[in-house]
Amino acid sequence: MTIANTGPLAPVATHRRRPYGLLLVATPVLLVAWLVIWPIISAVIQTAFVTTADGGSAVSLETYSFFFSDGYSLSNLSMTLWTTGVCAALLLVVCLPIALYLRFSDSKVAAYVQGLAIFPMFVPSIILSFAFIRVLGPNGTVDLLLNSVGLPHIRSPYLTPWGPVIGLVWDNIPLTVLILLSGLGNVSNQSVEAARDVGAGKFALLWHIILPRISNSILVAISFAVLGIFSAFTLPYILGPAAPEMMGPFMQRTFRELLESKTAITQAVVTFGFCIVFGLFYVRSVAKNRAA
Amino acid sequence: MSVLKIKDVSKIFPNGTTAVDSFSLDVADGELVCLLGPSGSGKSTLLRMVGGFETPTSGLMTIDGEDITRVPPEKRPTGMVFQSHALWTHMNVFKNLAFGLKLRKVPADEIKRRVEGVLELVGLGGYGTRSVTQLSGGQQQRVALARSLVLEPKILLLDEPFASLDQHLRERLREEVRDIQQRLKITTLFVTHGQDEALSMADRIVVMRDGKTEQIDRPDVVYREPQTPFVAGFIGTMNLIEGVVANGVFSKAGYSTPVPVSDGPVTLAIRPEAVDLTAASQNAHGKVHRVTDYGTHGLVDLELLDGTRMKAMVPHPDLFKPGQGVTLALRAVAAYRDGAVIYRTGVVTPVSHPALVDA
Repeated sequence: MTIANTGPLAPVATHRRRPYGLLLVATPVLLVAWLVIWPIISAVIQTAFVTTADGGSAVSLETYSFFFSDGYSLSNLSMTLWTTGVCAALLLVVCLPIALYLRFSDSKVAAYVQGLAIFPMFVPSIILSFAFIRVLGPNGTVDLLLNSVGLPHIRSPYLTPWGPVIGLVWDNIPLTVLILLSGLGNVSNQSVEAARDVGAGKFALLWHIILPRISNSILVAISFAVLGIFSAFTLPYILGPAAPEMMGPFMQRTFRELLESKTAITQAVVTFGFCIVFGLFYVRSVAKNRAA
Repeated sequence: MSVLKIKDVSKIFPNGTTAVDSFSLDVADGELVCLLGPSGSGKSTLLRMVGGFETPTSGLMTIDGEDITRVPPEKRPTGMVFQSHALWTHMNVFKNLAFGLKLRKVPADEIKRRVEGVLELVGLGGYGTRSVTQLSGGQQQRVALARSLVLEPKILLLDEPFASLDQHLRERLREEVRDIQQRLKITTLFVTHGQDEALSMADRIVVMRDGKTEQIDRPDVVYREPQTPFVAGFIGTMNLIEGVVANGVFSKAGYSTPVPVSDGPVTLAIRPEAVDLTAASQNAHGKVHRVTDYGTHGLVDLELLDGTRMKAMVPHPDLFKPGQGVTLALRAVAAYRDGAVIYRTGVVTPVSHPALVDA
């Protein structure tokens, strides 16, 4: 057997992987790290240390123990949780029927309903707040109309806990409807018809077929709404009561009026702690969808 | 006993489109009737009206004498199998089948017995705990069929159930479905645009066009004795040749054949298997354009002297070559005028296929 000498081996072409993709995402990632991640870490560090008498620093959860032992802080937190919970529930109650109607209706009216449902997205919160005051506030349009027909004054929700609830629900309708509508888009007409074919009435259809199929979308919609509502500022500040107040105005007042920056940062970290739970729900839901 | 009667049913959509036009049909107990037609012929709309998913504009539908015309789908004694299976992916196979029974408040042990029985029937015994997304297309379609059968509907409706499956699986499944349908003796209405599906499965075929009935007959009759040129052209392969009859003779591009009808234009319909070809170097009626060998037989694409194309089935395709001159003799023809058959010779005897002769 002879072996032909074929000379030196030709150089193997090296396949260089150029990091174009990483470069493209580098800027937003760095911005998020700088403007979001770092302030979080910084806030946690600042609130977890206290300055000692000799000018040094020591680990202490003093600010947190103050927050969770202070009745006013706790009532503000509980007011925020109440507002968020009520808003989330109301958003589902209001938006799910709208989304179901838009998904399954063949009527021409559906296009107008969709337009109306999306309209609040284009109205800034500050304008919404003053419109709310002009309509539902004392001596507002509703009051004037009631007076004109001899009916008594309404008990205005303005400057009560229901003020921010109404404003925040109205403000969050578009996003919630759009997310639910997108989820309902994945429920095929044939799967609905198949359910009706085996005997499902409207309620059984909703409960056993539609809701389980859009559970991820509901979770995403609620997570988005909760994240926005929990840290809302403008609407609770203008429409809500002075005390107790939601965490947004509370933080601002602690920082600007009381000049207690560390206490305000503690309030922010506590708020973040609640929001991150819903953030994780959202991330889990997205990951689950991708895996599916 | 489950008898479906459809009488003068029409469906006009809000945009003015007439999908079904005065359609009538009686489906006997245990019969499988195929609605066959091209896209837009109204067959799916008709099936959806029987299932309750569309409301007829006019007409009457009854099952065992009970008027179901305005009854919603959830209250009809019908079961529908959809083209896209329409399984609920958030439920496993067992739950998909049990859902309808639970709605009817059937006891749990009875549900278990019936679901397992039907899964065995469709060849999916032991698949109850599987997620429907883990099943193949064929298995999903069997689950969809089982979901309808488990409710023991009076009428089974199949809306192109094999359309999304590959040819091999489709052929296997249609045999299985036919077996199950015959075993259960369930009255079935089947929509398809596949003529082979209709010919192989149906007791009767309804050929539809533009929302109307073109012909209702047994598959062999629809194939061998089509009543209109549309049915002739739609079912199987058919040579439709326009020409003129004068003095009882149809002439076209140098070829003539007796057609004893009154003078005037006719459409001659000839099945490829009714054309006898002979190679000829002189006085040829046409020449071979292409030869396709299907193994069991061959199909010769001919070009007559005036350029008219015809197909002829031959037992030995290797005897013909493109460009070769041929003469033709027609063993069976039908003639149509004004959309109706006016003359027909005897039934065509199929050409003996070498493969069958050898067997």
